[in-house]
Amino acid sequence: MAVQPYGLIATFKTAPDLYHAAEQVRDAGYRHWDCITPFPVHGLDKAMGLKRSIVPRISLAGGITGFITGMTMIWWTGQIDYPLIVGGKPLFSPMFAFPVSYELTILFTAFATIGGMLLLNGLPRHYHPVLKYDHIVRGMDDTFFIVIEARDPRFNVANTKALLEKIGGASVTELEP
Amino acid sequence: MSSQAATAPAALPVESADASANKALVVGIVGIAITFAGVLLSGVTHVALSYLVGLTFWTAIAIGMLMLVLIHHIFDASWSTVLRRQFEHGLSAFKWLLVLFVPLLALCFVDGGGLVWSWMNPETVIHGGHTVGHDPLYIKKAGFLNKGALVGGTIGFFLLWMWLSARLRKASFTQDSDGDLKWTFMSRKTAAFGLPIGALTLTAAAIFWIKSLEYHWFSTMYGVWFFANCARAALCIGVIIMVWLWNRGDYKGVLNTNHFHSIGMLMLAFTVFWAYVTFSQYFLIWNANVPEETFWYNLRELNHDGSTNQWWYVGLVILFGHFFIPFWFLLSYRFKVTKHIIRRIAIGMLATILIDLCYNILPALKDSHEDALPFFSLNLLWVATSVIGVGGICVWSYLRSFPTAKLIPIRDPRIGESLTHHE
Repeated sequence: MAVQPYGLIATFKTAPDLYHAAEQVRDAGYRHWDCITPFPVHGLDKAMGLKRSIVPRISLAGGITGFITGMTMIWWTGQIDYPLIVGGKPLFSPMFAFPVSYELTILFTAFATIGGMLLLNGLPRHYHPVLKYDHIVRGMDDTFFIVIEARDPRFNVANTKALLEKIGGASVTELEP
Repeated sequence: MSSQAATAPAALPVESADASANKALVVGIVGIAITFAGVLLSGVTHVALSYLVGLTFWTAIAIGMLMLVLIHHIFDASWSTVLRRQFEHGLSAFKWLLVLFVPLLALCFVDGGGLVWSWMNPETVIHGGHTVGHDPLYIKKAGFLNKGALVGGTIGFFLLWMWLSARLRKASFTQDSDGDLKWTFMSRKTAAFGLPIGALTLTAAAIFWIKSLEYHWFSTMYGVWFFANCARAALCIGVIIMVWLWNRGDYKGVLNTNHFHSIGMLMLAFTVFWAYVTFSQYFLIWNANVPEETFWYNLRELNHDGSTNQWWYVGLVILFGHFFIPFWFLLSYRFKVTKHIIRRIAIGMLATILIDLCYNILPALKDSHEDALPFFSLNLLWVATSVIGVGGICVWSYLRSFPTAKLIPIRDPRIGESLTHHE
């Protein structure tokens, strides 16, 4: 039995071609597939049927963690670990813990956002099967691609190829894993 | 997309605009008349300070609109082009706000002059028994804080705002007919010198009108605090206008989800900004713990016998209503782009801005123990009538300007980008 390919790649000339092709791949019910474009195409996420990213939730979790860390740190050091009266102030007050908590909220939000983005995108990634495709460099220049992966339950070399050709994809090629 | 702009109704049918404008004018005049009649019940000073709340509320909205239009031009912004026209209509209210300010300025020359801003009368007896005229702190500040500066300053600020508004309106409206790019460059120049003028005048206005009510106090954050409220108020009115024009059909095909997302993000940013400066002001005073500064907050928390007064709870309403609640709601993408929800957030924020102004102005009214008079009093009625009254005049001014220009600046070089914002 031949090795199952990674998937099929098809080429499109213009952003509108790709956009409408993506709508049809979406409507055909595929889930494990992607578009490769030289620049961001507004509205492509909708055409691909992508949901909103969950990165904002990860950011929020990071922010809340940062705030609690700041408050806890000031409370622990000032009230428990090394109680010292400074300027007649109470050993702990959320008032003077606020600037630190605020800064840590921002810092942890930034870390969580960047980290969440990298994690969800599977980055950094040193190898991807499309990199073996000869013409892929033109995806950074003037050509648009759709890749449908073999792990998609609807994937079938013959049928998927037919679909990609029907929606206007040129030079449909199998990708090595 | 721009073909849709061409088919969108260009303006209100003139008759209906006139009818609603006249209705607003009647509401405005009645509101102001009731406020002035309140003098018979509550006396001049109480009504004047309540009227000052209503007047600064709408002036803050107008200043916010002016600053947002200037910021739009200085950044050569694109998405806000479709909304800018509505702010330009709103700017027409400055001249009426100046007219509405005249009674307060006139009171500076009546009965010793201390009816609104008590320091104007050197005979006013202050805490401790001596008079303002013999108060070293007043004498030191008198170079800035005097009757001529306040009256002249107020008139001067309004004239500057009217001048900037007139330049922006003329450039924008004329470009609709001739499409000349020079108007865009003229507005950018207006923005370049208008922003520092706006920043300095709104700061001085906030100090004269509001902060000087407690002239012993010090805060370097006051102008920034006022600016934050101005910007937030204008953004909220912007959202209300956007949803109103959308529901009426004017903005169909003009606005998309991303316009609501963008203005929602600005509202979130200015919510955080307001919280940042307001907390900084409180925190620095709390930390330094110097009586010259803490008295301002003490007045808003405690009576002379140490019991908690109503303003303490008002402060909590502001803390939650002006920061925590809008902050949490505005974090959500869905809430920002759902029209009835973002409008509700905007209305809530406007109400809290009004409470914030009450919190800053009304405790200047004190009883015989030098305690702040409670929040819940007849004065709230005069605040309400003056907000409705001044608001009626501002809405009238906006609706009168509305049919005189196209719905959106159709020949602005950025209009195409704005109509297809992130699409």
